[in-house]
Amino acid sequence: MASLISYLNLEEESKRKKLWKTGYELRDRNSRPETSWRSESEQRIYSTKLVDALRLVRRNPSAADMVSSFREIREAADRVLAVEAKGRTRWSRAILASQLRLRLANNMKHKRAKVTGCSRPKRLEKKRFSPTLQRKARLLSRLVPGCRKVSFPNLLEEATDYIAALEMQVRAMTALTELVTGPPVDRLGSTSNS
Amino acid sequence: MEKESTTPPNWTTSSFGMEIQPNELNCAAADQLPNSFFNPNWDNSVDQSDPFESALSSIVSSPAASNAAAIPGRDCLMIRELIGRLGSICNSGEISPQTYVAGNTTTNNNSTNTSGYNTPLNSPPKLNLSIMDSQIRGSLPINGHQVPFHPTLVPFSADPGFAERAARFSSFGNTNCIGLNETDFPYGLMPGMEYGKMSNASSNQQFKVVGSQMGVQEKNKQEGNVVVKRKFIRLPRPSTPENAELGDSREGSSVSEQIPGGEVSTKVDSDSNARKRKSISRGKAKETPSTPSAKDHKTTVENEESNAKRSRQDEDAGNEKDSAKAKAKADSKAAGDGNQKQNKDNSKPPEPPKDYIHVRARRGQATDSHSLAERVRREKISERMKFLQDLVPGCNKVTGKAVMLDEIINYVQSLQRQVEFLSMKLATVNPRMDCNMEAQLSKDIFQSRGALPPTLYPLDSVMRSIPYGYQPQQMQALHGGIANETENRFPVNSLAALSRNNPSGQLPPMDGYGEAVPQVSAPWEDDLQSVVQMGFGQNQQQSFHGSGAAAQMKVEL
Repeated sequence: MASLISYLNLEEESKRKKLWKTGYELRDRNSRPETSWRSESEQRIYSTKLVDALRLVRRNPSAADMVSSFREIREAADRVLAVEAKGRTRWSRAILASQLRLRLANNMKHKRAKVTGCSRPKRLEKKRFSPTLQRKARLLSRLVPGCRKVSFPNLLEEATDYIAALEMQVRAMTALTELVTGPPVDRLGSTSNS
Repeated sequence: MEKESTTPPNWTTSSFGMEIQPNELNCAAADQLPNSFFNPNWDNSVDQSDPFESALSSIVSSPAASNAAAIPGRDCLMIRELIGRLGSICNSGEISPQTYVAGNTTTNNNSTNTSGYNTPLNSPPKLNLSIMDSQIRGSLPINGHQVPFHPTLVPFSADPGFAERAARFSSFGNTNCIGLNETDFPYGLMPGMEYGKMSNASSNQQFKVVGSQMGVQEKNKQEGNVVVKRKFIRLPRPSTPENAELGDSREGSSVSEQIPGGEVSTKVDSDSNARKRKSISRGKAKETPSTPSAKDHKTTVENEESNAKRSRQDEDAGNEKDSAKAKAKADSKAAGDGNQKQNKDNSKPPEPPKDYIHVRARRGQATDSHSLAERVRREKISERMKFLQDLVPGCNKVTGKAVMLDEIINYVQSLQRQVEFLSMKLATVNPRMDCNMEAQLSKDIFQSRGALPPTLYPLDSVMRSIPYGYQPQQMQALHGGIANETENRFPVNSLAALSRNNPSGQLPPMDGYGEAVPQVSAPWEDDLQSVVQMGFGQNQQQSFHGSGAAAQMKVEL
């Protein structure tokens, strides 16, 4: 497993770049976003980056408040996920933009800028949806970050990619937590908890 | 832009569901051979003596599995390639009609066409083929266009006669489609009069017939037409006996084949038609081989059209588009409409990136521009909904946009909550992590990846560690949501609850956790107790509190 551990080592950037390329190629080749998000290489890349990001977060244990630490971790996970999306999707861009805006606002102690998400309104389609469908579409658009003014077919596409990415995120984080906390067996402290 | 006319790589890259082996086809300029196209026939009559034959046979054997569908459009390509090969073989001087015909079979032809094949076959067939292809595609005949296609074509680059014939042929095919029938085809067609001329030197007629057949095929989406067409592509078989054979085989194949795949298999016997069948079957394989013949015809025709005209990418895109459209409307639409749509797409300048999609009204549908755009939009939406259906678990049985949207919304919410839970859990164990963990973590993460794990245990541990400062809210909804994670199903009540409780759809992390914490139900109690007793390090102390709080929460519930 030295090769795996080497992923963490920064000197093994080349390997990571290979993974990146593989993931990139996979994504290009895959017309369906869910297939690209389900690839092993993508998950490997995400896990690696997530661990790195979490390591940074951990370095600031001053956030005694659990709430803020939760939020930091969540944001780190989302940020890594958005970065891995490589800006091809609207929600990933919106996540990064909102986080950057928040940070800027916090640093400058200014009022937080309104997060508009996607600011490009699409041309209204001639097709009229029923009010219930429209309501559900609004709900979905609020769920997917950065897709408030997106047309319905694009919204579906963004939702597809977002769901696939979320699934991968959950998988990686679950594995990570299981590693950290140990699987729920009688292995008290047998894991890396030292 | 013409796939056939482009270099071999284009052909190979175009994927009709077959695996083309360009290397095999190196014997002639036509590097690309639709494997499936040759498949059924080659097996029977391949003369292994000739390297060309061996290559072809190898090609044939490889795509054996992909004979599901044949693309009529391939016929032109096939013909061209065959001609190319033949030309090369002829040039090499070792051509025997037998070898050439190996793909096409029919021993009798071989015997008679021995002498006639060589010279006359080289250029006229190729040129005709190219012209025919272009004609079939609806574009102007390109005399010198196909030159790069085959070296032997070079000297033959311009032949006004061919162009004229091709033009006639295409027009004939386009206009006369309906009236043409398989049996009548080879003989009754306009090309028929030239058809009679089919001799060693007059391979043109064959092309014309093919072209007309292709046109016919467009219009008549019956498998018979497809079959007929295939047979004509026998191509450099100018002798009349071949034609007769063609007719017979055509009829037989048309009768016997209802499905493109079936066509291919049945045609094996009728050797000469093998190529055509393969092309057609290959085209069909690209679509759904199991779809009824009508559907296949339509797609085949579309493929045929698209093949001729588009570059590989366009073709794939168009085929996908066509297939999607065809599948959506196969039942109600005539094949001709689809083809026409395809033609229209293809007739545009062959630039790979299309600025906008041309949609032609299908038969039986309103031709209003609004309805057309609406239809395109609806198809886009339905296509995306299909993707989502595959992604969201438990949506296979659900039909209708509203319910699907509900499921999708629930699923997204549950995924987001899961991420929050996991991040909270990670946060609790954060202080305990040290540098050594990362190595192990990365290693284990790589190893222990799997499907979405049930959130039971993470949830329990998280609940242990979370300070119970949150009032239980929408516990029912959350409970349903959480339970769904493991069961992969969202009960309707939870769905409604979620919709009610989370109008914004985006719960703040704290609220989410607060809702999640009290989600301790009877079935979870045992897990909680077990988890508590597990002793998650620092969580252990909290576990007691957690269990107590959980019990309290339950009471509140």
